[in-house]
Amino acid sequence: MTGIKFLIAATLLSTSLFAQDKYFTKTGKISFFSKAIIENIEAHNRSVTCVLDTKTGNVQFSVPIKGFEFEKALMQEHFNENYLESDKYPRGEFKGQIVNNSEIDYTKDGVFQGKVKGKLTIHGQTNDIESDGKITKEGNKIVIFSEFNVRLPDYKIKNEKLQNISNNIKVTVNCSLDPLKS
Amino acid sequence: MVLAAIVAGVFTCRQFNRKNADVSGLKANYEVQAADLIKEFAENDSSAMKKYLGKLVTVRGQIKKIDHDEEGYYTIVLGDSAGLSSVLCAMDTTQHVDAANLNKVSSVNVKGYFIAFEKDETGLLGSDVKLNRCIVEKQAH
Repeated sequence: MTGIKFLIAATLLSTSLFAQDKYFTKTGKISFFSKAIIENIEAHNRSVTCVLDTKTGNVQFSVPIKGFEFEKALMQEHFNENYLESDKYPRGEFKGQIVNNSEIDYTKDGVFQGKVKGKLTIHGQTNDIESDGKITKEGNKIVIFSEFNVRLPDYKIKNEKLQNISNNIKVTVNCSLDPLKS
Repeated sequence: MVLAAIVAGVFTCRQFNRKNADVSGLKANYEVQAADLIKEFAENDSSAMKKYLGKLVTVRGQIKKIDHDEEGYYTIVLGDSAGLSSVLCAMDTTQHVDAANLNKVSSVNVKGYFIAFEKDETGLLGSDVKLNRCIVEKQAH
């Protein structure tokens, strides 16, 4: 094997090995739920991008804010225009790490408890958050599930004068990840 | 006076319970080929974001893949099968059957709301244009 061929083969092999540690989805699901005076508010987003590096435990989510779908049009309009200001802040983001990643055996099927720490950015505001979650390995897929609360004032999201939604919003993350093939 | 109060009450009630408009009955703000849309974002994503964010777009393109989750929600992926970048169309909940029957179709017109451009920072994922509440307008065999 000539020098250049060896170099190309070595690069491809290293890229392949590197990529096999990573899992991703571009159609992950994030939902939220809020208790309200008149009626509860619920929305679902099925356009979430998530990348997990099983080697390091690094995990990232990118959430298009306009991707949240509500049952009622008026709620969706208020959410985008008055609360999240999605024209100005079109994306939510989480960058963090599974802190107990070394305890999770990604080579075998099973359900593992994960603890995630990182920075959540919504409405242009970034805060440290910490959450417990469930990591399920099923064949060649990894499913990440987590529930946590977000406080609207922490992200400078103005609740309307009547406070007709709770300041605490329950967020549910449910993303099924596939291996990232190079 | 009473009549005015009744009319106002009915209007408020209708407004409060109004559903999102059916996309199939709405005219798209833009009609564009998938490859051209991806190129437009690749060349200048901030200008393309301003142009398309929240707008109704009809995209014509080759079907790369059709994904569906365990709850039966479909996503049609349009674009060049040799490239990493795509247009991801999250289908409206009323479109399950149409999306499921598209497997043998080579290209489609899909209409939906533009919600995001995900720029690939890794070089492994590809950059994606994302639409939601999509419907299939036209199929070509």
